[in-house]
Amino acid sequence: MTSIPTSYYLSLSAVLFCTGMLGVLIRRNALVVFMCVELMLNAANLTFLAFARERGDINGHISAFFIIAVAAAEAAVGLAIVIAVYRSRGTVNIDELQTMKH
Amino acid sequence: MIACSDYETFSQFSSGHGVFAATNCFFQRAPMTAEAAGWSLWMIIALPLLGAFFSGVFGKALGRANVHLIACGAVFGSFLISLIVYWTAADYATQAANPYAMGGLHYAVRHDFGTWFSAGDFKVNFGLMADHLSGTMLLVITGVGFLIHLYATSYMSHDPGYWRFFAYLNLFIAMMLTLVLADSLVLLFVGWEGVGMCSYLLIGFWYDDAQKAFAGRKAFIVNRIGDFGFLVACFLLVLLVEAFAQQARVESYQPTPDAAAAQVQARFKQGLATNGPLGFMGLEELAKSAPNELRNEIAEGPLRGHTFNGVLTVILLCFLLGAAGKSAQLPLFVWLPDAMAGPTPVSALIHAATMVTAGIYLFCRMSYFVVLSPFAMAVIAVIGALTALIAALIAFAQNDLKKVLAYSTVSQLGFMFMGIGAGLFWAAFLHVVTHAFFKACLFLSAGSVMHGNGDEGDIRKLGGLRKQQKLTWAAFAISTLAITGIVPLSGFFSKDAILHALHTNTLSGYEHVLHYVWYIGLAAALCTAFYMTRLYVLTFEGDRAPDAKLAHAHESDGTMTGVLLVLAFLSVAAAAHGIPFMDNVRGPDFPKQTLMENFLTPVFATSETLVSRLATVRLPPMEEQLKLPWSGWGMAWAIALFGGAAAVVLYTRVFKRGQVLTGPLGAMQKLSLNKFYIDELYDVAIVKPLKFVSFVFFKVIDSMLIDTVAVRGTAWVTLRLGSMLRYFQSGDAQGYAAVMALALAAGIGWALMQVVGK
Amino acid sequence: MSAEQLLFWAFAIATVADSAGVVIAKNPIGAAMSLVATFFFLAGIYVLLWAHTIAALQVLVYAGAIMVLFLFVIMLLSLPDTGRTMQFSVARILGGVGTAGLLAALLVSFRRLPEIDAAWMRDPAQVASFGTIQKVGEVMYTQWLFPFEAVSLLLLVAILGAVVVAKPRI
Repeated sequence: MTSIPTSYYLSLSAVLFCTGMLGVLIRRNALVVFMCVELMLNAANLTFLAFARERGDINGHISAFFIIAVAAAEAAVGLAIVIAVYRSRGTVNIDELQTMKH
Repeated sequence: MIACSDYETFSQFSSGHGVFAATNCFFQRAPMTAEAAGWSLWMIIALPLLGAFFSGVFGKALGRANVHLIACGAVFGSFLISLIVYWTAADYATQAANPYAMGGLHYAVRHDFGTWFSAGDFKVNFGLMADHLSGTMLLVITGVGFLIHLYATSYMSHDPGYWRFFAYLNLFIAMMLTLVLADSLVLLFVGWEGVGMCSYLLIGFWYDDAQKAFAGRKAFIVNRIGDFGFLVACFLLVLLVEAFAQQARVESYQPTPDAAAAQVQARFKQGLATNGPLGFMGLEELAKSAPNELRNEIAEGPLRGHTFNGVLTVILLCFLLGAAGKSAQLPLFVWLPDAMAGPTPVSALIHAATMVTAGIYLFCRMSYFVVLSPFAMAVIAVIGALTALIAALIAFAQNDLKKVLAYSTVSQLGFMFMGIGAGLFWAAFLHVVTHAFFKACLFLSAGSVMHGNGDEGDIRKLGGLRKQQKLTWAAFAISTLAITGIVPLSGFFSKDAILHALHTNTLSGYEHVLHYVWYIGLAAALCTAFYMTRLYVLTFEGDRAPDAKLAHAHESDGTMTGVLLVLAFLSVAAAAHGIPFMDNVRGPDFPKQTLMENFLTPVFATSETLVSRLATVRLPPMEEQLKLPWSGWGMAWAIALFGGAAAVVLYTRVFKRGQVLTGPLGAMQKLSLNKFYIDELYDVAIVKPLKFVSFVFFKVIDSMLIDTVAVRGTAWVTLRLGSMLRYFQSGDAQGYAAVMALALAAGIGWALMQVVGK
Repeated sequence: MSAEQLLFWAFAIATVADSAGVVIAKNPIGAAMSLVATFFFLAGIYVLLWAHTIAALQVLVYAGAIMVLFLFVIMLLSLPDTGRTMQFSVARILGGVGTAGLLAALLVSFRRLPEIDAAWMRDPAQVASFGTIQKVGEVMYTQWLFPFEAVSLLLLVAILGAVVVAKPRI
């Protein structure tokens, strides 16, 4: 019935995840780092759904649903923090936000 | 009240001597029952203890007169109660109904004040007991103690620390009374250590002088070595009792004249249950049952494989170590001469009359064990003899008044140990009592002499005091005669009884030991006569020394001389205890007994029975025993006279005052003056290595290894590690995330390996 | 090549390209736009996976709400040009190495997954109802009711938190 084997979807999700992780580790702009985090969450979503279809288990969809809901909450709070940081420090460049040094 | 003539056990009073019998009948009926007397035993110890507390805490505020009143009053109160207790214990009628009477302690006034602690089978009670032996000791301690307290009120009248002195003195009396009244070895040990502590406190009383404080420290440390021996003996004894209780069957319990085997076993088990393994009740019953088990091996427990006899001998040797420490025998006598740094009343009380006799008291208590081991008796006798001789030889050349008396004490204690080694416990104890009187008198006279001569203790600078201090002279002269053993003074009877026993008794297995000990004893008696007479001559006779501090000595005041005269009188009167005029308890076929021997019969009844059963000590045949030892007495008297005369001649005619000899005599004098270099030997062989070891432990192990390397080193390592690791906290969130990513990759890679590998 | 395969490859390549764009874009607005495109193409892939409900939710919530929030914040902050996007440091190089390693490990492990016999797909009734909103709703409101309510509480808290954190003065 399906001509795309599950492993293709999984590989796609791996690529997405690693791209997101790369972005988190490399970009200096806090907002862009945030967006890459959303990317990683989506990759996880994709994995869940791929396995759900393979096994016929609807719980994978439920998990994806919750991931989306939580990601929304997290994005809201995280962006509020970014705004607060920008207001107090005047920058969202994480290279300049290193006051928790030793 | 039972009529006096109904006493069948003591026939000597039924032979009808009129007034004598009537007086005896009066004194035989005690004023109170045994239970009441037993209950009041705690007051004997409590009074001096309270006296010590009040003198020590409130003494300074109360003032000199009040402190004197409290201290002397406390000891006098103890003395009065001791009298009543002694009277009750000596009353044979009241004792028959005594519920605590058991075994050989038929005549004990006893009370158990409750359990101190117990752990499984091991139990220690607060039990106090006064039988004939401890009753006599009570009177000696409280009586002589009271007299010395009186003396000290005058002697220490100029000392600012008087309240401390009397507090310590009262505490000492309390501790010594605990030792003597104890019902078990553990409580005895409490008193044992207590007197050691008080001795240390009192020797180092004038602690501002470092030498005096060191003398106190030396006494305490040497005593501690003895305490170690005592404790080891106690531990072994607990194991022995346990092994015996497990192993002995009814047949092995030896029947005694007053009880069948089953009764002896029942008493042993009862003693064990009520008083624990170290109570004297159980131990005496154990000794009664021991003869059948001596050769057997112990089957279980830590002592497995050793015979009962072997373990018992080791226990006795350990007790000997303890007694040697407390009673200043070889090799632990070195503290006693140094202890003369303390005030003279202290020397008189502690180091003449009471504390140093604790070792002999211990052996008298354990007499039933001592007679079971001839080897231990031989060792005790030899140690006593060697100590007596060496101390006597050292006393020959000493120039300090109190030091001569100190070595004399050591020598006399050696005599007492010889008596114990010969199996004649009553004679050793009689010597304890007589020695207490005349030695206390000697020391107090010495104190009076020093007081009257501006604290001069060097006999080379004294002399001619016979006319200047008449009363002191009288007391000193009488006591000197007593100690040298001149008839009819008391010292003769006790010392001679010991020498006679050494001559006639033999130990089974060690036949010749007592004979050689007898020779050494005779030599020591000769030396005693010599150096005591020398002391007397140099101090009292002749002209006043040219370099004396005061031109004219003054006599001490009434208190001091009064006490001296009382003690001198007692030195004479105590001879009554030593004259063999009483009919023997066992019947008219047996030799006559002295008053002391007769009185102490119930205490040593078990050991007598054991000796006759096991023949560890072989007494001379009955015909020999029935004769009074006129030849022995004559020889002893001759020796004493010869020694005394030699000293008189030498020191009045031949030697000049303070002359230093030359040639071989001079070498001997130097050796004697330097105490045979024993202190120096101990210093090199024991003290210096110990100091070195402790130096190593202190500087190398404690200071360096533990403090610097382990403790501070650990802290230093932690600090450096922390300052290295600190740089990981860069504040860079991406850096942290990078590390996490790496770890994640590595983890997954590793898991992959696991899977791929399979 | 069937339609499904064609669609898959198209959507896949587009998704990867857009996600690369998010990482590479200099301007945060550019990154946000790339992200929106990624979400759209992902939704398409979800449909290919028969996850219809989730696909719809993806577009509605992710692309429609979250990205709008992002854009609002970017515009609110009115950030100036930041200069070079790439600034190398030890941490970043390590991160790159780690990521590459992770990718390799994941790809290798996904290749080696065992084949599962998808027996359920032979049942047409199941296939028809799989991923529909009725099916999802049935499971959600029976088995997963409590987490559902908990998540709604979480959202409430998140809103409150966002309001409190972002207020100019408390």
